[in-house]
Amino acid sequence: MTSRARLLVLGAISCVLLATTASVANPGGNGDADRDYTCGGSCHGDPSLSMPSDGTVSLSADTVAFSGTATAVHVTASGMSLSGKRLVGVFLLGSLNGNGDQPSDHGWGIIQDPNGGTSNYVETVVPQSGSVTMTWVLRAPSQTGQQYLYASMHHGSDPNPDGLASLGASQAASIDVRPVPENYPGLAEGWTAPENRVTGDDAPVIVRTTNTDQLVVLWRLEGEWATHTADVESLGGGAWAVNLPATIGETRLQYQITTHNGSFAASQPWLTVGTTPPAFDATLLGARLQALAFASIVFGFMVSLQARLSPRGGEGDEATPEVDSQASLPEPEPAKDDYWSRLVPHDDHPGWLWDPVEEEWVADPQNPLQGGGA
Amino acid sequence: MVGAATFHAMFVEIVIGSLTLSVICAICCVQLAFPSPITNFRLSEKVMMAMDKAALAGAILGLVTMPLAILSGTLAAPGSAAGSALLYNKFVYSGLALGFWGAYVAGRVRLGPGLWKDKRLNLLQVGTAAVAFSMTTSAASIGGKFVRGESVYDILPLWLPTESTTVLHPAISALLLLIGIASIVVAFRFAPPVERLDQ
Repeated sequence: MTSRARLLVLGAISCVLLATTASVANPGGNGDADRDYTCGGSCHGDPSLSMPSDGTVSLSADTVAFSGTATAVHVTASGMSLSGKRLVGVFLLGSLNGNGDQPSDHGWGIIQDPNGGTSNYVETVVPQSGSVTMTWVLRAPSQTGQQYLYASMHHGSDPNPDGLASLGASQAASIDVRPVPENYPGLAEGWTAPENRVTGDDAPVIVRTTNTDQLVVLWRLEGEWATHTADVESLGGGAWAVNLPATIGETRLQYQITTHNGSFAASQPWLTVGTTPPAFDATLLGARLQALAFASIVFGFMVSLQARLSPRGGEGDEATPEVDSQASLPEPEPAKDDYWSRLVPHDDHPGWLWDPVEEEWVADPQNPLQGGGA
Repeated sequence: MVGAATFHAMFVEIVIGSLTLSVICAICCVQLAFPSPITNFRLSEKVMMAMDKAALAGAILGLVTMPLAILSGTLAAPGSAAGSALLYNKFVYSGLALGFWGAYVAGRVRLGPGLWKDKRLNLLQVGTAAVAFSMTTSAASIGGKFVRGESVYDILPLWLPTESTTVLHPAISALLLLIGIASIVVAFRFAPPVERLDQ
């Protein structure tokens, strides 16, 4: 190998090594979960690993909520720089203390987060407009009085030479939690909306309520305005079976529950249910067996192929000259016995034999020549 | 106490590192049957024989540690280790990688270093190493997909599927396993022995 080639190889290796960034933690996000503000699963709360966001995050909610009833909180993040994945992580918080600051730590319950789950931290891809609004449906705390909610966001940027996360926090949203009026119809404590339904599943969604004698449910496809009324069946004990149409693909369906008690009605925030493919049905034993089966079949096939191509089969490269040399050999002489047996004696020409193949007379060795000829 | 995930990371690094070395050396050995037309890139036979040995050593090390990586990965997976198409594919690609790397080592050991000088065997051996490495890195990249949500292979326009898979019934897998074992037994015990090609 020449020195120029060595330099070329070293240069190529150096380019590959330098093409990687020094460190980027969780560039693909960290997943929805219940998280405190300081960490967010990535420890970017550390000032040495983060910087202020250049975007804004704001939170809006009704100023009044009744204890134990559902209320919607909208968080809007906009104007921020983003990484190539355009991913932003948004927190809904009960304080900005740094820990123990999840809404549940302050008495709030999450009926549904913007992605359909029940987490206070969710991630989403920001559309090209640069703005995204996310809605949490919460159950107000049982403790009445002035309550505060905050929103915070984490995102990357491009370029981001120092690998820092950008952090932004909203102003506090003040919500006056008042005692729930007597016999106020609402959703039962502990009930959470289903996040997803399996493709094609038309089983009813079970809704649990309190102080409700009638339930009306409107539904619509996400992104559409037209609403439809769902069939509702009372199961007794405050439980209701709501028949929403089956969905397929990635369809998301929104529905709004209105609880009635006599002439009084309370409309709950819109909820969302997504569609998931059927559960993956496989066992560890099956996976292991399939892997071993593939391994053994591939191994057996490849070993057989090696044997087939090896020179033992008479088809290797080295065997070719032998075949050629054999091909160039002259045709073998006919066996002597065959030759003499085909010769025919003739009474008119004693001492000679007739060769019908070569059509010639041959001297008979058994009967030495006494005269005559062809 | 060190968790299974830590051991898995260690074994995966050993497997990928040794098999990367192996496949690079195997590709360089192509020159034993097909000399490079560019003189500057032409390697001496002595260097290529050293690469042949390095390729074999790397493949053996990778083969030995691959089952440990699979086992530690199974223990480290949250929930069921075969609970999603992504994780199931890890088993499928690991099995294929084991088969191809096993065949690579078996071929080199049985046929000897002289196999590189036979054009067809050379191509078969390099092809086996390349496919085996593709399967290995596919299985490894699924780990990145699972943990970080992305993989280096995302930048490639075309790659093996990872998020969809074919699940065979365990009985069919068992039958295929028996067929595979039978074919191995036939290849080693009943077929005429192959000729070792020494230098």
